[in-house]
Amino acid sequence: MLAEALARHRWWIALTLLGIAAAAVVPFVLMPFHVRVGQMILLSTGLGLAWTLLGGFAGYWSFGHTAFIGLGAFAAGLFEVNALGTEFMRTDPLLGFALGLLAGMAACAVAAALVAWPILRLRGIYFAVAMLGVAQVLSELTNSIEAFQGSLGLVLPRIPAFGLRTEAVFYYLLLIAAVIILAIAFLVKNARIGQGLAAMREDEDTARMLGVPTERYKITMFVLSAALTGALGVIYAHSLGYITTGSVYRTDFSLNMIVYNLLGGIGTLVGPLIGAAIMVLLTQVVLGSFLNLHMFLTGAMLVALVVAAPKGIMGGLAGTWQSWRRRRTAAP
Amino acid sequence: MRAPILQLTNVTKRFRGLVATDRVSLTVAAGSITSLIGPNGAGKSTIFNLVTGYLPLSEGEIRFHDERIDGKSTVALARRGIARAFQIAKPFPDISVHDNVRIGALFGRDGRRDVDQVTERALALTGLEDFADRPAGDLTVGFLRRLEIARAIAARPILLLADEPCAGLNPAETEEICDILRRIRARGTTVFLVEHDMEAVMRISDNIIVLDAGAKIAEGTPGEISANPAVIAAYLGTPDAA
Repeated sequence: MLAEALARHRWWIALTLLGIAAAAVVPFVLMPFHVRVGQMILLSTGLGLAWTLLGGFAGYWSFGHTAFIGLGAFAAGLFEVNALGTEFMRTDPLLGFALGLLAGMAACAVAAALVAWPILRLRGIYFAVAMLGVAQVLSELTNSIEAFQGSLGLVLPRIPAFGLRTEAVFYYLLLIAAVIILAIAFLVKNARIGQGLAAMREDEDTARMLGVPTERYKITMFVLSAALTGALGVIYAHSLGYITTGSVYRTDFSLNMIVYNLLGGIGTLVGPLIGAAIMVLLTQVVLGSFLNLHMFLTGAMLVALVVAAPKGIMGGLAGTWQSWRRRRTAAP
Repeated sequence: MRAPILQLTNVTKRFRGLVATDRVSLTVAAGSITSLIGPNGAGKSTIFNLVTGYLPLSEGEIRFHDERIDGKSTVALARRGIARAFQIAKPFPDISVHDNVRIGALFGRDGRRDVDQVTERALALTGLEDFADRPAGDLTVGFLRRLEIARAIAARPILLLADEPCAGLNPAETEEICDILRRIRARGTTVFLVEHDMEAVMRISDNIIVLDAGAKIAEGTPGEISANPAVIAAYLGTPDAA
């Protein structure tokens, strides 16, 4: 199945590898500001892809995925500062960061597994709103419990720069993370589980009737999506250096993950990249000088795009391609 | 007498105060087309929902191949070889016809084995090969019914529950569905059918079970059922009831 998928998508894979190679030279040729914009595109792409593992593939839209950005960030930060300690982080910062990353991912995976049973019994808008609640509860707990340092703030240990500028280090970390998440999403989409998830997204009851283990699949995807979102949260937190509840439990993160997918094409692998690139370039570069108007213009553009292409840019392109092919084959 | 493949014993389903099925006992013989008929509200769909694990029993027991299956999940039953084609076609509309059927082959009984051949065979048996690349949402009602059956048989069922596959179809389409069901039986799959089109039921059934108001009122061959006074009364009413 995988070999067949690799052969079928060989041109996309070649294009992706070229894109990764091009992205790898960005920090050497662009100004630091543009490298930071690249960082944001990579972070947003990674978040969009991690969200789509559950939302795009299985049809379970989460309105509160920022829960895992915040949880990953604080779990890693507290683990590095309190469990490993300043001395360990000074002597072996790379290992410390790697262990912090694993701790952040594990915390998100465990939290997702714990809430999965009650929360994934809900469908549609009920699940979406329940996730909003999970994010709110975690955010409040981080803020109110003194040991978590959410209101006071937490200074994260520095990670080694390997002679690179700080923005380049985080750019590469986010590039690696985005590529790994993309590879995982590709494997999932093209494996047996991906077919089952597609069936589930279309009609969960019928999928069960056909033998798709829907409960197991959605819990697996929820935990995987949470852990990967958590990993991005850990990297993002380190790029900030100092985090508070408000800087990592952000409602706009949750909403943007959905927007990237809607804009680029929900359930596709390229969609989140296209959506993230458009949104980040639009808000940070094109409209960067019109701060008083930029939310209005962004909103207006989003409405126009959703009306023009309800299945996102990739969905719209696929539809145009299919109708062109049909016309071509129907022609005498 | 063929061996029984499905046995319901004193199956009762209550929805709060309403008794949907009342101590229904019935047997479906292996390799047969057995039809379950009755007026609206007789409990036919409830029986299908109980057999496929969509609803839990209130009382009684259901056996499939001598194994007690009441209480088992829908997924577990699909893996054991019970598939269902729904009354209202439920295709995966954005997925191609081929991939809809392939999902049945991937996850049903013996999933993963010969998936491509099983998919092609199911498409051929239902006459859907020419539509394989189309999104399922583009199909007409008649072809959606075929897709429903194709997807169910791709799951390699031992027992196929077909829920009103002829509803809303014209006579020619109905005959095609009957042909498909006969071919499925000829391949060794038992068909348990719920259908309102009496002509179709009489033509293809080996055995007919009649329900009325949640209880079994008759069972027999098409000839016996069409002459049964209780069945005639259930369908047409009695002079006293008027």
